[in-house]
Amino acid sequence: MRRKAGLVLLALAVFFAALSPLLRWYAFPRLAKVPANQYQDMVLEAKDATLLDYGTMRAKKVPKVTIVQTLKGNVEASERIEESAGRDVVVWDGLSYVVGPDGEMVSKIPERYIFDAHTQEPVHATGEMVDGDPVRRTGIEFKWPFLTEKRDYEYFDAQARVTAPITYEGTQDFRGLEVYYFEQTIPWTKVKIPKTLPVEGLTPEAVAQTGTTRWYTTVRKFWVEPLTGAPVYGEEIHREELRGGTLLGDRDKVTAFAGHVKMREDYITHTVDLVKSQRLLVLVMTSYLPWGFLTLGVLLLALALYLEARGRRLSGPAPTAAEEPSSVSA
Amino acid sequence: MRALIAAATGLAVAFAVVLTLTALGSPSGGTSPKPLLTTVPAHP
Repeated sequence: MRRKAGLVLLALAVFFAALSPLLRWYAFPRLAKVPANQYQDMVLEAKDATLLDYGTMRAKKVPKVTIVQTLKGNVEASERIEESAGRDVVVWDGLSYVVGPDGEMVSKIPERYIFDAHTQEPVHATGEMVDGDPVRRTGIEFKWPFLTEKRDYEYFDAQARVTAPITYEGTQDFRGLEVYYFEQTIPWTKVKIPKTLPVEGLTPEAVAQTGTTRWYTTVRKFWVEPLTGAPVYGEEIHREELRGGTLLGDRDKVTAFAGHVKMREDYITHTVDLVKSQRLLVLVMTSYLPWGFLTLGVLLLALALYLEARGRRLSGPAPTAAEEPSSVSA
Repeated sequence: MRALIAAATGLAVAFAVVLTLTALGSPSGGTSPKPLLTTVPAHP
């Protein structure tokens, strides 16, 4: 009976000891993924910003410019792409909607971002676009991979439509969370005029005919929770100018937008709470369960060995040939 | 010999559990009916 218990304990010990690395290095990379049906919105504000008045074509100071950013997982599109890509894919349909102080639309830029659900590497498929123009991303956007590393990443800039390094600048504490701080600078770059402009009847083609061009620079800052790869806070020091052409009269350039864009306070709190709960799930899979199972496996193995040793001791040594009684003959 | 069989059983069950878990995955659900926002939401 004791021997049977020892064997069962040994089987359990091997089961838990094997489960530990399998869970961490086999199951976690396959189970951790961005859900295809995720819907999220974010509000960012630039207080005391500079904004172009399209009526007068002059820049003016405004108390606030608001950016509403929505990302919506398109499940049907992701399933279609998965069939040919042969891996889990997420399709995010996004909209950056910029609102002036009067509540009127300043600009709206739609985009479609397609990426691997596990690694966040971009996946190229028909429909990948920014403001209706096809693009081919070569870096991450919006989210870092799970288990983010302390290194530079390639980050896609949707305005300039270029991929540039975003550098790891150190580890910080953000509202009780350990986060990695990343920063990217996009130098002054000529960019496309948005398809939708705030003045009715004004089209990007009409602006282009005047010879006026749009230029943009930004310093992008992200504070990323490394286990989930989710940014918990973001800022941008963003500037846009219109340069040259007959639209500006005798001026060389005019500021179209300048402001320090920051996440709205209620969205910061919401994001931090959300990331804290998701971080716990990642910790369970990568640390708590693997270490717990390994410890349990070692304890069960020790118990199995103890039972086996005790069983052998109690049954005593086997009789030897010397101790056997000699045969007596009459 | 019996110890070896017990250890192999434990290992096989561990592989079976992990492979089943990863094969099952998680349901992808449906696309949210909520629109892409063109107004400033009051709260998250």
